[in-house]
Amino acid sequence: MDLHTLAAGLAMGLGGIGPGIGLGIGFSKAMEAIGRNPEASGTLFVPYILGLALTEAIGIYALVVSLIILFATK
Amino acid sequence: MVHVDIAAERLFSIGPLTVTNSMIGGLLASVLLLSAALWFGRRASLVPSRATSVLELPIEFLADIVRGTGGTRWRRFAPLVFGIFLFLLVANWLSLLPGVGTIGYAETGADGNRFIVPFVRAAAADLNLTLGLAIVSFVSFVGFGIWANGVRGYLRELLIAEPAYMTPLLTPIHLISELSRLISLSMRLFGNVFAGEVLLATMLALTTATLFLLPLAFVVPGIFFGLELLFGLVQALVFALLSMTYITLAIAEERQHSGNDHSGEAPATAAASAEHGSA
Repeated sequence: MDLHTLAAGLAMGLGGIGPGIGLGIGFSKAMEAIGRNPEASGTLFVPYILGLALTEAIGIYALVVSLIILFATK
Repeated sequence: MVHVDIAAERLFSIGPLTVTNSMIGGLLASVLLLSAALWFGRRASLVPSRATSVLELPIEFLADIVRGTGGTRWRRFAPLVFGIFLFLLVANWLSLLPGVGTIGYAETGADGNRFIVPFVRAAAADLNLTLGLAIVSFVSFVGFGIWANGVRGYLRELLIAEPAYMTPLLTPIHLISELSRLISLSMRLFGNVFAGEVLLATMLALTTATLFLLPLAFVVPGIFFGLELLFGLVQALVFALLSMTYITLAIAEERQHSGNDHSGEAPATAAASAEHGSA
């Protein structure tokens, strides 16, 4: 148990905050849009998936960093 | 403790070429796809059989998306998008089969712990493969941009901002954002697939201790297994769709300077200039 473990946990935990909020906003807005206009769900699908992927990428960066700290710097 | 190796393990070498276990995974996926293509391509008919129509489902699903959002010239790059999607889908789902990542030979690490070096590893759980695919995507969207706008049009679009006095400020941002697509495409796929592997192994290791009390060791990893099936599909779709979007953007940049040095298709140019005028 050393500082590496703490650093990896902090990197993932703090790095998960932003994407979590972002994904929530994106998802809620998409649901709102589908609720108002259910016929638009087909056209919303691709921008929705792309937006979620771009948002989620930030969390994935944090994950990659913490994995590197855990497994590749010892 | 779960043994995790962030790099793919080396199996053997053919001359200067080192063969890693994730290369085996990628080759298996390619062989599976190619043989399926040969098998069903030879039997193609107007009335599809039951197996063929099941296999056509993902193609039709993606074809609808590409047709809807790919612009007027979607036929040019549709094969690339389909290829990326099918390869990643097969590679991701292949890595969930039992035996992948678990059957291998034992090796003793530097710290004295024994672990298994698997013969087959998920193809995309290796940064080399995802970075290679991202380079393919990068080269293709630069190539399509040059093909659609000409070298001069492409360079002007890349290097000169819209109000010319903003060029010193905006051009570095533009260049960095183009290059960062390479990093974000490869890192996203690698992170997701690799984290999926680690997640499944961790869940199994956590619940193995409860094997004699509760059947948790069967239930909990099963839930995450279903999640990984979904993620494999979504990540393949995301990689293909992002490549398609980048190519579409590179082609559509022509619209802002329509009729300058490249004569596009007449209806497309008319529609684009109408769109540009209303924007």
